[in-house]
Amino acid sequence: MKAEKLNPSVKMAVILVGAVALSFQYYITVNVTVFLGFMLMLVFFSNAKKKSILALLLPAFLAALGLFFMGLYYARGNSLSAESMESVSNLPYAVRAAASANLLTALQLATRLLAFAGMGIFFGLTTDGERLVFSLMHQCRLSPKFAYGTLAAVNLLPNMVKEYGQVRTAFEMRGIHVGPVSAKVIFTMLVNSIRWSESVAMAMESKGFCSEEPRTFHYVLHVKWYDILFAVIVLGAIIGGTLILTGIPGSI
Amino acid sequence: MQQNNFQVDGSAALEMEDVIFRFYENGKKNILDHASLTVREGTLTVLMGSSGCGKSTLAAVAAGLYPENGGFLLQGSIRLFGKDLKELNPRTRAEYLSVMFQNPDLQFCMATPEKELYFCMENMAVPPEEMKQRVTDTAARFGLESFLTRPLHTLSGGEKQMVSLACLYVVGSRMIILDEAFANIDGEAAKKIFTLLMKMKEQGSTILAIDHRLDLWLEAADEIVILTDGAKVLERGLNRENLEEAREVFRQEGLFFPGEAGKRYNNVKETEEGGQYGESTTCKEENLPAVSFDAVTIFSEVQKRFGREIPSGKKLVENTSFDIPAGTITALLGSSGSGKTTSFLALMKKHPYTGTIRMFGEDIRKKKPEELYRNAGFVFQNPANQFVTQKVEDEVTCGLRIWNPEWTDEDIQREAERLLTAFGLESKRRLSPYMLSQGQQRRLAVLSALSGGQKLLLLDEPTYGQDDRSTEGIMRELLKKKEADGLTVVMITHDRELAERFADRILVLEDRKIRERGM
Repeated sequence: MKAEKLNPSVKMAVILVGAVALSFQYYITVNVTVFLGFMLMLVFFSNAKKKSILALLLPAFLAALGLFFMGLYYARGNSLSAESMESVSNLPYAVRAAASANLLTALQLATRLLAFAGMGIFFGLTTDGERLVFSLMHQCRLSPKFAYGTLAAVNLLPNMVKEYGQVRTAFEMRGIHVGPVSAKVIFTMLVNSIRWSESVAMAMESKGFCSEEPRTFHYVLHVKWYDILFAVIVLGAIIGGTLILTGIPGSI
Repeated sequence: MQQNNFQVDGSAALEMEDVIFRFYENGKKNILDHASLTVREGTLTVLMGSSGCGKSTLAAVAAGLYPENGGFLLQGSIRLFGKDLKELNPRTRAEYLSVMFQNPDLQFCMATPEKELYFCMENMAVPPEEMKQRVTDTAARFGLESFLTRPLHTLSGGEKQMVSLACLYVVGSRMIILDEAFANIDGEAAKKIFTLLMKMKEQGSTILAIDHRLDLWLEAADEIVILTDGAKVLERGLNRENLEEAREVFRQEGLFFPGEAGKRYNNVKETEEGGQYGESTTCKEENLPAVSFDAVTIFSEVQKRFGREIPSGKKLVENTSFDIPAGTITALLGSSGSGKTTSFLALMKKHPYTGTIRMFGEDIRKKKPEELYRNAGFVFQNPANQFVTQKVEDEVTCGLRIWNPEWTDEDIQREAERLLTAFGLESKRRLSPYMLSQGQQRRLAVLSALSGGQKLLLLDEPTYGQDDRSTEGIMRELLKKKEADGLTVVMITHDRELAERFADRILVLEDRKIRERGM
């Protein structure tokens, strides 16, 4: 069983609902569980390359670290009361300063960001764009016009990249210096893309693509039992975990 | 197994009557001006006409793609197999008629040939359980097996057009229009597609081919129709027997008359004195070749690792040496994808190579790119990609200003006017370059590429998207420049006749070597 086989629409819905649920709770335990859970799924139940996981995790950790220090020093209110601070007054000043700042809030913010990142990375690395579009069409009633239009645009990208290189070369050969982002090159590309989209649309229509008539589908994505299972486990863990922890006083 | 066998009873497949179509409702120019055309079922009709006469628009209007995607149909009736086009939606239209377009890159919406075939069948509501078998059969019929699941953008132009034809086959249209579908691919690929197309015709498909070359079609064509401005029929009922009578019409419209190899372009070389290289006065002064390759090897791809470029992929050119004398016109032939354009890019320091490349005797490795571009201009296959301004006039003045920073505005203005007049573009000076026809765009591109007084001009596929007259116009101007200023021209082309007509020397890129070919 691989995460790639999950229905993309279900996966997307679970992650969206899960993200909302995460935003309404403050438990570090839940955040860390979600993050670790998705990472484990990525490593053991998907074809995602370890390298790409790490490449995406690195900026997430940096952002989490930034958020941690921001929460630590600039959040309002103290997580530790003044009395408890007095009892540890023999600690060095720096430790007391850090502790008197909002350690708890900082951890909450940072782990929540990691949980969001974990879900995003999981979705991004295990979802094929084409399958997502098809699934949106079958499960969420996305109109074929948008679905195939999007696919056509995505499949044009390699051509656009090639053309972009050519335009830059052409400009340089005419003695015009082009920086990394040049308005002139972009203008030429815009002119091209208008022309291209018209041509592709006409070619699609000429092959009988028609939004008024029903079409058949070679491959239809369905919602299977394991999609439901996935939804129940993930949402159950987040919502259930939150509820249980609310019942236990002093849990973080 | 799918069998597109159509019952043919000889009635009209396409009837267009007195059609007026224009792109701007209040504009004056009718692209189709009282155009009428009838195509009989089960026939192969070839539509010819000079660039800009409206033949492609005619195809798009016949297929209902215009006015649905732009423009205004002001008058006239169009019937497909007896049905009024207005009452058909895209799906039912496709049952009768579909189009294969010129640019192979812009015909597909899916990632691989296989998926594209499924897409087409889904459009036509083919039952899903039949689809797999049909894909297998179609792939076998059109020889797509080896690249059925490869990304479309990695295929060659010929392969893409073959996929395109296979798509029309699974759509099952009774009539197919080919809108210059062979303009972008080499002769071998075109022949292969043509053979399969003829097989479809035997089974009753009606074919309308738009082309400004007749060679491929002549033997099989039932009727040849020549169109003139506004897509009006100038001459019809032509076939290989009575074509001779229309010779004058071909000449007048600037079209290539088949079988006139060597005479296709008016006698150019005979009129010059000493057209062969080495005899011309300009290149005697300098014995240095314009371009020389010395044991050059070029790889198809480059990988960047740690800022260093490492060649990878296959070898396009291997250990090749040749010279191109200054003041000559040289043609470089070779099948598509063999590495002609890449060799040009290497010469412009835009693609790595091993060995030594010299331009006017100097090793290009030791030159800055700007110094190279001052000596050599490049005109790309798609000239629209090299325009840097939004006005024809600015396009020329901009080039002059860059290469001649010491000139005053007046000098530049005067020189720009002179150049525009010489290249026949003075009436278009206030237009946007994108509004010019393909032929005019290429002329403007040549003009701006030479605005710094460049001594070497590299032309990539100068015939692409143009009729003979436009090509001849440009080649004549280049010949004049060669005579007057000793300009060296190197052009990539797959048009042997063009090469034989205008080039002093023909080089062929074959088996990873660039060699001279006997004239």
